[in-house]
Amino acid sequence: MRDANLNRRDFLRLSGLASAGVVLAACGTPPAPGSDAAAPAADAGASAVVTDTTATTAAVAVKDVPREKTLIIMFGGSQGQFIDVGLGNPYATGASHQMGNAALWEPLYYYSAFADEYIPWLAESYEYNADYTELTIKTRSGAEWSDGTPFSANDVAFTINMLITNGLDPDAAKIRNSTEVSKWVKAATAVDDTTAKLVFNDPRPRFMFSHLSSKFDTGIYIVPEHIYKDVEDVSAYTGFDPAAGLPVGTGPYTIAAWTPQQKFIDRRDEWWALKTGFVAELPAVERILVLPTADETTMAQMVINNEVDSSLSLLATTIKQVVEQNDKIITHTGRDLPFGYIDWWPTSFWFNCAEGAFADKNVRWAVSYTIDRQQMLDVALEGSGILTTLPFPQYAGLEPFFEAAKPLLEKYNTAEHNLEKAAERMALAGYEKDGEGFWVKDGARIEDIIGGWGVFADIGPVLGEQLRQGGFALDFQMPADHGTQISEGKEHIWLNGHGGSINDPFDTLDMFTSKYYQPIGTPTTYNSRFQNAEYDAVLEEMAKVPSDDPAYMDLYLQALEIFLDELPDCPVQQFLHRIPYNQTYWTGWPTQDDPYVNGAFWHLTFPLILQHLKPAA
Amino acid sequence: MPLSYIVRRLLLVFLIIWSAATLNFFIPKITPRNPLREKLMEQASRSGYIPPGFEEMVQSYEKKFGLDQPLWKQYLTYMWDMAHFNLGYSISGFPKTVGELIGQAIWWTVGLLSLTTIITFFIGTLLGALMAWSRSNFIFRQVVPSLLVISAMPAFIVGLLLIYFVAFKWKALPLGGAFGATTLQNWSVSFVLEVIKHAILPALAVMLTSVGGWAIGMRGMMVTVQGEDYMTFGEAKGLKNWRLFYKYAVRNALLPQVTGLAIAFSYIVSGSVLVEVIFRYPGLGSLLAKAIRELDYFMIYGIVFILIVAIGIAMFIIDLIYPLLDPRITYEGK
Repeated sequence: MRDANLNRRDFLRLSGLASAGVVLAACGTPPAPGSDAAAPAADAGASAVVTDTTATTAAVAVKDVPREKTLIIMFGGSQGQFIDVGLGNPYATGASHQMGNAALWEPLYYYSAFADEYIPWLAESYEYNADYTELTIKTRSGAEWSDGTPFSANDVAFTINMLITNGLDPDAAKIRNSTEVSKWVKAATAVDDTTAKLVFNDPRPRFMFSHLSSKFDTGIYIVPEHIYKDVEDVSAYTGFDPAAGLPVGTGPYTIAAWTPQQKFIDRRDEWWALKTGFVAELPAVERILVLPTADETTMAQMVINNEVDSSLSLLATTIKQVVEQNDKIITHTGRDLPFGYIDWWPTSFWFNCAEGAFADKNVRWAVSYTIDRQQMLDVALEGSGILTTLPFPQYAGLEPFFEAAKPLLEKYNTAEHNLEKAAERMALAGYEKDGEGFWVKDGARIEDIIGGWGVFADIGPVLGEQLRQGGFALDFQMPADHGTQISEGKEHIWLNGHGGSINDPFDTLDMFTSKYYQPIGTPTTYNSRFQNAEYDAVLEEMAKVPSDDPAYMDLYLQALEIFLDELPDCPVQQFLHRIPYNQTYWTGWPTQDDPYVNGAFWHLTFPLILQHLKPAA
Repeated sequence: MPLSYIVRRLLLVFLIIWSAATLNFFIPKITPRNPLREKLMEQASRSGYIPPGFEEMVQSYEKKFGLDQPLWKQYLTYMWDMAHFNLGYSISGFPKTVGELIGQAIWWTVGLLSLTTIITFFIGTLLGALMAWSRSNFIFRQVVPSLLVISAMPAFIVGLLLIYFVAFKWKALPLGGAFGATTLQNWSVSFVLEVIKHAILPALAVMLTSVGGWAIGMRGMMVTVQGEDYMTFGEAKGLKNWRLFYKYAVRNALLPQVTGLAIAFSYIVSGSVLVEVIFRYPGLGSLLAKAIRELDYFMIYGIVFILIVAIGIAMFIIDLIYPLLDPRITYEGK
């Protein structure tokens, strides 16, 4: 009877046959979709060929650009890789303008907060009707999309109507700005090729600034009607195909290649602004190379070693070392403290006003009196920060509002460190200290975490320790799900910025109206869960009044008094962007001596920086 | 080799894969985190601006990924997809699929770690053999063991030291990445050389910290083998030193090392996570670290499932071939 066991010789024979079979099969297998299959160069000038990273893009030739004509910046991604590769449509879910794409998209107006200056771009002028229910915009003649199609008022009207349609469709995946635009705007029409008219449901005196001007990260992206009119689901449309010239924008740059590790954005010399004489010359930067963010140490090393021209802002202690180790590196304040500029994101302690100890305004005020902001500045930031008394960035447009608030701030001093006043407030809230010096009520301490993002890794622990010494059993942490926690109301005190007001206080104050209130466990956009009917009414009135109307200031002060009395938000510091600028290859960065715009290249105002950069040589 | 043995082993492999895949599904779900909201919230927080309609965006995204379904339904869908190697879309890399992203990353990991593993294996095995051999040079018996203290250090610490001194201070090698920042991927000789240059430091970090393990293992086996009768007989017969060393001692001591090598290869697909992260190497380790950080369920499922299958197959093959390699080992204990 034949032995059923497989002997050694048979096994080796079978293994050999199987291996040969696998090799033969592999030779005959066509490449899988999306596999890297190099194609020959398209023309003699090309020195490298992009390999496919998605199934939909064809290989295109990418030209050689020397380092001295390349601007290398570091921003975005996760763990060293971009997570939005191939999302050329700015409205696609997950897309972002922050990784260089702002160079492709131009707005109707730019706004520079430092100069408090409006810069007309794709629009020449605008006008409201008497009661701010209609807005007429004159678009610029001669502007063109990158495929040669003229830019017109039709594109503006189309974009607004696209947002309205998306916002009103209950089944559509929501895209950026569609929710509020669909609530505020009735319709948009193109009266002629250079005139767009928006009709609002209510007076909207701030819409031109808040939504149709690009500043920091806010501003509607105007998209080409001739391409997007055929798109069914804007949220899912990737809009990226270099061979077909996508994405189409009006800016002087186009995406030449995009991999998880790199994005090559090349200048296109057929830019409408040069053709029409709107600008005298093309930007000197021929290529923008965007790399994903690395950890703080690696970014610092790469900037010091001239491998990167600018990066995400660094912590106070890091930027100091970076400047010291390379004399070509400057910041907004040159090579001096505080090594940065005020961002639109002032830092506060935010409170959950609906639940827990901080639902009591006396406890919130006690926190404000307990922390020593100057000590925090000295210890955590080595003296390189700027404190604030209000949750607004200290920009030119907001200075009058800071000034007008001074009498109120004498009564409600948000800068004061006073442990006696803190104790008075805690007593009013029904607390007393236990044997270990912690505040206790009904046998329970105020024991919790102070949540925060990584950017607060410097000040968070110091503030946490101050509060601990002041009797609050709090501990600063940076939970991975911090965003979810604050959205659902599961954290009760956290550090955060605002991303609201830029030239008038409305946007920040509006964040504390009860329209954003949701019960604990239900997510919401602005998370203080503060509710005050009187405050809501004042803000409702403010929304209808232009900021240069004298009544606006009165309403502001009324709202501010309620805000300061209740203190749903405890101001701590102005948030500084400590961005390194390496001048080895490029000069013309925005600094305090030439503050033409804020220097964050990841903001929508990036094109203004590109216009100013000149080769160092 | 009895057929029944093969069938039993195969069933055991399937059982192991199914159990591990089930754990793989449920463990990330233990946390109440919502990866979609976190992904969008992180993007929004970077811009300092949370747009209205944010929650609607999150909900529509959840529907796209099937995360609004009951858990049992998600589990069944997951098992069906895994059985068909349909790894789905990545949450953090949407609209890319998990397969696409793994396909881009795996070659970097396999390329780096397979060569590193082979080189480390040979060097470590040889060093271990020489450390135990009584007639080897003083350096191998006294000096080399003290250098193995580096193996006790975590690879990422060694990596950070290499980056700081070799790349940052001396600028002798790149700071990180798989190739130069200004270089586009292509298959030219210059690109390949650049890849090799960028791979030196991460490979060195792995090699320095793992060579000790191979060496110590081999040394232990050599000590055992040197006490065998056939070694005494060989010496008595007057065989040359190199013959005794290679043909008698090393050859017999090598078998457990080969087993270890096979297992080590199966672990390659998981990458050396921390080394890839600190060197910004775009391999599976970096992908897995990112997926865990962002709770990209489908990416975690995909990478871990591949690892489970790879290890299962490796163990299965080892179980089958071991008795063929060493006739002293039988299938049924006859």
